[in-house]
Amino acid sequence: MSDTSTQPPNRILTIIARIEDGLLVFLLSTMIFLAGMQIILRNVFSTGFTETDSLLKILVLWVGMLGAVVATRERRHISIDILSRYLSEKMRQYVEVVVDIFVVLVCILLATHSMRMLLVDFEAKTIAFSGVPTWLLESILPIAFTIISLRYLMYCWQGIGKLLKGDSST
Amino acid sequence: MILFGIVLLLLALLGAPLFSIIAASAMSNFYLADIDLSVVAIELYRLAEMPALIALPLFTFAGYLMGESKAPQRLVQLTDALLGWMPAGLAIVSLAACAFFTAFTGASGVTIIALGALLYPALKQAGYPENFNLGLITTSGSLGLLFAPSLPLILYGIIVQQMNLSQSVTIDDMFVAGILPGLLMLLLLIGWSLHVNRKVARPLEKFQWQKVKVAVRASAWELPMPFIVLGGIYTGFFAVSEAAAVTVLYVLIVEVFIHKEVTLIRLPDVMRDSMILVGAILVILGVSLASTNYVIDADIPTKLFNTIKEYVSSKLTFLILLNIFLLILGALLDIFSALVLMIPLLLPIAIGYGIDPVHLGIIFLANMQLGYFTPPVGMNLFIASHRFQKPVMQLYKATLPFFFILLGAVLIITYWPSLSLSLLGR
Repeated sequence: MSDTSTQPPNRILTIIARIEDGLLVFLLSTMIFLAGMQIILRNVFSTGFTETDSLLKILVLWVGMLGAVVATRERRHISIDILSRYLSEKMRQYVEVVVDIFVVLVCILLATHSMRMLLVDFEAKTIAFSGVPTWLLESILPIAFTIISLRYLMYCWQGIGKLLKGDSST
Repeated sequence: MILFGIVLLLLALLGAPLFSIIAASAMSNFYLADIDLSVVAIELYRLAEMPALIALPLFTFAGYLMGESKAPQRLVQLTDALLGWMPAGLAIVSLAACAFFTAFTGASGVTIIALGALLYPALKQAGYPENFNLGLITTSGSLGLLFAPSLPLILYGIIVQQMNLSQSVTIDDMFVAGILPGLLMLLLLIGWSLHVNRKVARPLEKFQWQKVKVAVRASAWELPMPFIVLGGIYTGFFAVSEAAAVTVLYVLIVEVFIHKEVTLIRLPDVMRDSMILVGAILVILGVSLASTNYVIDADIPTKLFNTIKEYVSSKLTFLILLNIFLLILGALLDIFSALVLMIPLLLPIAIGYGIDPVHLGIIFLANMQLGYFTPPVGMNLFIASHRFQKPVMQLYKATLPFFFILLGAVLIITYWPSLSLSLLGR
C-alpha cells in the first residue's frame, strides 16, 4: 500500500494479511463443500453426519470472526459516523485517535475474557463433539480479538504519528 | 452510568465501530451487575449454536458472485423481453429486476452497483427524466427486501428464535408474510412510474416471442435457480440453510464453470469481499447477544412497556410512534445492526400491545427499507451519489416522491395486519 512495503514490519504485516485471507477463503470453501455434501447425503442416501452439522456451525463462527478481522484491516466495520464529517481535518485526526484507543481497550477486554472462557474449558477438558476439545473451537475468539486490538493499536500509532508531524505537512 | 452512556453514544456518532460500542455497553452493564465478564465471550460463542445462521455467509457469497458475473445483464435482458412492451416498460423492468436481485443478494447496496450501472444509462436513453431515473434506481436498491430469501428476513427469524417467545416465528413464516406487502410496494411504484410518464408519448415496443426466446436461452442456466430455491423453501423441501447451500453451489457451477464469467483465480477475492460484510454483521450479532442477555435479565422490555403504557394506551398510537421511531432509526443505522439491537427490546413491547411477532417483523423491515434512502444519512443515497456522480442534494430531491409513495405502503402494511398475516392464516 505504501512505498515502504519492503521494510520488515510491513513485510510481516503483508504475511499476516495473506494468512488471514487464506484461512478465510479456505474455511468458507470447506463450509460450502461440507454443506453441499450434507445435502447430497441427506437427500440421496438419506444419511448425514451430525458431526458435519456441528462442524458447519463452528465454521460460521470462525468465518465470521475472521471476516471481522479482515474488516478491521480494511476499516470496513459497520459504524454510524455522522458527526465526523462536520469536523475540521485536524479535529478529525484527534477524534480518530480517541476512537481507536477506545476500540483497542474494548477488544483487549473481549480477548481477555474469551481467553478466560477458553482456559475454563481447557482445564475441565470439555469435549464439543467426536473428541474435539471445546477450547480449540473457542480459540478463534481470543485470537481474533487480539489481532483486531493490535490492528487498532497500529492505527492509533499511525494517527498519533500523523498528528505529531501534521503541522509541518499542512 | 448515564455519563458513560452519553460517552458511548458520542463515540458511536464519531465513527467507532458499532460492535465495540455494543460490547462496551454490555460489559459495563454486566460489571455493574456483578456478573463475570466472561459471559460476553460465552454469548459470542453462541454464534456457533444457531443452525440457520449459515444461510448468512452462504447467501451473501452467492449474491456477490452473481454481482461479479453477467447475471445482472441477463436478468435485465429477460425482464425486458417479458415486460418491456408495457407502457413505461423500462421503468417497470427496472423495478422488477431490482426487486428480484435484492431478494437474492440481501440488500447490501449490491443492487445499485450491479443493476444501476445497466439500468441508469438505459433509462436515460429511453428518454425518462433524469431525476425520475435517479429516484427509481436509488429506491429500487432496497426494493425486494420483503421477498424470500432476503437476508434481513432470515436474520429477523433467527433473532426471534433466540428469544424463546410463547408465539413461535419461523424463517419460513417470514418468507410467506413478506409476499403481499412486498408486492404492494412493487405495484405502487409501478403505478407511479406509469403516472409520471403518462404524457411522454413513447412508441410502445411490441411483445416479441423472438426476444423472449433469445433472453431465455441466454439465461437458461440461471432460470431454474429461483424455482429450485424458492420452490424448495416454500414447499418445505429445503430448510433455509440447505436452500442457501444449494444456491451457492448452483451459482458457483453456473457462473464459474459454465459461463466462466468469474475465473477461479478471482474467486478468493470475491469470497473475501463478501465475508468482510458477513464478519462485520456477525461480530455485531455476537456482542448484541450479550447485550440482549443483559436486557432480558434486567427485565428492561417489561419496564419499558410499563412506562410506555402509562402514556400510550392504544395499539394505534403505539403503531404511529413505532413508525416514526423506526423511520429515524432506519436513517441512522443499517438494517442488520438495527435488527440485532432493537428487536429484543421492541418485540416484547409490541407483543404487549397485541401485535403479532410476524407482523412486527414486516413492519420493522418495511420501515428500514425506507431508511435506506431517508435523508440525510440513508446509505443508498450515498452509494447512488457516488455511483452516478451526482450531488447528494439532487438525490434527496429525486427520491422524495418515491419516499412518500413507499411511506404510504409502510402505513398500509402497519395498519392492515392481515396483509402480512392472511397467507399464514394467523
